[in-house]
Amino acid sequence: MFQRFSFLRFSIPAVISLGCVFAQAPPPPQGGSKTLTVSGDIAAPITLKAEDLAAMPREKVSIPDQDGTRVEYEGVPLIEILKRAGAPVGNQLRGKALATYVLAKAHDGYEVVFTLGELDASFGNEKILVADKRDGKPLFGYQGPYRLVCPADKAGARSVRMLETLEIVRLQR
Amino acid sequence: MQARLISALFLFGIASHWLVAAEPEKNEYQWKLPKGFPKPYVPADNPMTAAKVELGRYLFYDTRMSVNGKASCATCHKQELAFTDGRGIGLGATGESHSRGAMSLVNVAWSASLTWSNPEMKSLEKQALVPMFGEHPVELGLREGDKFLPTLRSDAQYRALFERAFPEDADRFTIANVTRALASFERSIVSARSPYDRYHYERDDNAISDAAKRGEILFFSQHLSCFRCHGGFNFTDATVSGRNPERAVEFHNTGLYNVPGVLSYPEPNTGIYEYTKAREDAGKFKAPTLRNIAVTAPYMHDGSIPTLEGVLDHYAAGGRAITSGPHAGNGHDNPNKDPLIGGFTLSAQDRSDLIEFLKSLTDEALLHDPRFADPWPKAKEKP
Repeated sequence: MFQRFSFLRFSIPAVISLGCVFAQAPPPPQGGSKTLTVSGDIAAPITLKAEDLAAMPREKVSIPDQDGTRVEYEGVPLIEILKRAGAPVGNQLRGKALATYVLAKAHDGYEVVFTLGELDASFGNEKILVADKRDGKPLFGYQGPYRLVCPADKAGARSVRMLETLEIVRLQR
Repeated sequence: MQARLISALFLFGIASHWLVAAEPEKNEYQWKLPKGFPKPYVPADNPMTAAKVELGRYLFYDTRMSVNGKASCATCHKQELAFTDGRGIGLGATGESHSRGAMSLVNVAWSASLTWSNPEMKSLEKQALVPMFGEHPVELGLREGDKFLPTLRSDAQYRALFERAFPEDADRFTIANVTRALASFERSIVSARSPYDRYHYERDDNAISDAAKRGEILFFSQHLSCFRCHGGFNFTDATVSGRNPERAVEFHNTGLYNVPGVLSYPEPNTGIYEYTKAREDAGKFKAPTLRNIAVTAPYMHDGSIPTLEGVLDHYAAGGRAITSGPHAGNGHDNPNKDPLIGGFTLSAQDRSDLIEFLKSLTDEALLHDPRFADPWPKAKEKP
């Protein structure tokens, strides 16, 4: 009984104290995850860190932002990431594999779709980039750490910010 | 020795040429824009010059610009309030009320359209004529042919300012030149030194608080989608620049009202319907810049929401419900409401973080910058 009383006596202030800590120290600001996951209909999901992306083939694209100023993004072509994850690209992209798409998901729940056909060099050859730098500096805040850049798109809505997951979906096998 | 002399003369020649080439064209205006800010569109018939900007500043703050000497442009566009007036609706020189609030003039150089809801008003030079000569309502109350221009001509200071601003004009004292100078001054009012600018463009992580950083992520999230109407460097979707001078401006019905009748918004503030006469345009207004928004209360086109917290509540609810009075109705159900105004949930923390983010857009330096301040001695304000 005494022990129980002691528990209550000490735990209530502890709970209040914890509550105060949470109230005073909300989580630190964070955009997307520091890793990029490729999952779905592939042999095994892969998780890429910043250093993995830094070691992959990289490209730069200079595009006008919505206000007309030119911005240079740097990163890894999306097709290279799909290739590394084992998605059917290149010679494998034929027949039923052409009914495969990539679902790009952002930290805030935003999602857009790209078909493998529009990305592959033999078909659409769209140069979509998974960028981690803007004007030479790492993406941060609401943009980063990773985002898509779609230079051929007229609207910016597929240029997913805070990119976290690329899910590969095969509609036919 | 001779070869050395020739070399020295040659190098001097190159250096002289470089110096001449590097020297700005006489009187050319130096924008000094920070990274991320494109050069604004400036009409070819009114190139920016420092002399025109300076003349415009004197005119902007001159109460002789009004019918009774009681008001100037600065009466409704006060520097310390980011060139708004702190009122819900504007008040003219003669005491007549406007139906809408004075918009901020900050970064107006990049505005694709001017005023709350006139899709055709794209020229600052033309817009200046509205407060000067407009009668519905009377703002400054000037009339063509009155003593305004002779008054300017008789002032030695204005004679010098006009001469510098329009040196090649035979008759410098024209209404067109007055509006050119006013527009030039307005274009010069650039707000780009907020804590958010230091964080975002200069990558100073200490410039804004963690709360503001969380608020920024919320602002740009799919969940809230504030950025869809208040995006880009100027936090509006009505931005143009020198490189992209044309833009089809979108106007938005945000569900502020839903009154009975075919137009759903209380007259006379029916948005761009006033110009298009299309019923689906009723209640559609421009998304203003959010720069300095913390100092430009009250909010919305008619100043009907007094605080930023109230604005967040309005958008979170997906429209405003008014339970009594002549404007009773649920704006959430307005037939013309923008589909983006769907409502969202916010925790107390989210709400507080968003407010901190919006506060980080306040450019304190602009509010006190002597380049935009009243140049007149205090006595001249009240002749």
